[in-house]
Amino acid sequence: MIVTNTETIAGYEIVEVKGIVQGNTVRAKHAGRDIAAGLKNLVGGELKGYTELLTESRREALQRMLSQAQQLDANAVVNVRFTTSAVTSGAAELYAYGTAVFVEPSSP
Amino acid sequence: MHLLLNPQFVTFFVLLMLGLIVGGTVQRRHFASIARRKAGYADILITQLKSFPQWRHGEKPPRMVAAEVVIATDYLKSFLAKFRNVFGGEVHSYQTMLTRAREEALLRLLEQVREQGFNALCNVRYQTADVGGDTTRKKVAMAPILATGTAYYRVQDE
Repeated sequence: MIVTNTETIAGYEIVEVKGIVQGNTVRAKHAGRDIAAGLKNLVGGELKGYTELLTESRREALQRMLSQAQQLDANAVVNVRFTTSAVTSGAAELYAYGTAVFVEPSSP
Repeated sequence: MHLLLNPQFVTFFVLLMLGLIVGGTVQRRHFASIARRKAGYADILITQLKSFPQWRHGEKPPRMVAAEVVIATDYLKSFLAKFRNVFGGEVHSYQTMLTRAREEALLRLLEQVREQGFNALCNVRYQTADVGGDTTRKKVAMAPILATGTAYYRVQDE
């Protein structure tokens, strides 16, 4: 499966558009992580717990999007976008969406 | 003398100093590390175009890369920011925090570009992600950045 956040794929031609596919996930970190983030806020620097939270969410959302694309018999997803929203303090939604297409290698 | 014996004031002062010394050092080191690592990726063409500049036919298909980073500010800087809030104007402490986060996110994209054997990155997009934050009432000041781009192979200039 080819995944890009561009509208086209270099070297490939879109022969069929299958439609929009999406995946979302809402994740929360355990309270310990939130406390650690509060402490880290005193000295500054990366909040690794929250970075991990985002990475896990992004992978999960992408995976769900890709399985939808597979069900549509697509072999690529183009123009992938992410949006996030904080549902409540300590939990965040990550939503991935894109257009599932069927591509074929284009001739030079 | 009376002020120095006030435990609240002492805590506040210690936290400010902690922010000044540790926070300042962490930030300086981070900016130095960003500059050093960025120099190693000088050959990668980075654009935010939706097309594929200098693309060569027959190379492996392009691939999306994504990276995220959450950077927090230190106590001194959040204090200065609150101060700035009263008078208005540019909040420099938060501006540097966001710059740090974006630069770091871009470097993590470049790392993946290199790992996967590509030499160009197009359609770079940054967005601030909402991670919810603290469960306590005090809101933690932080810059969560989600960066995406598409890695591809380009023709190198001879």
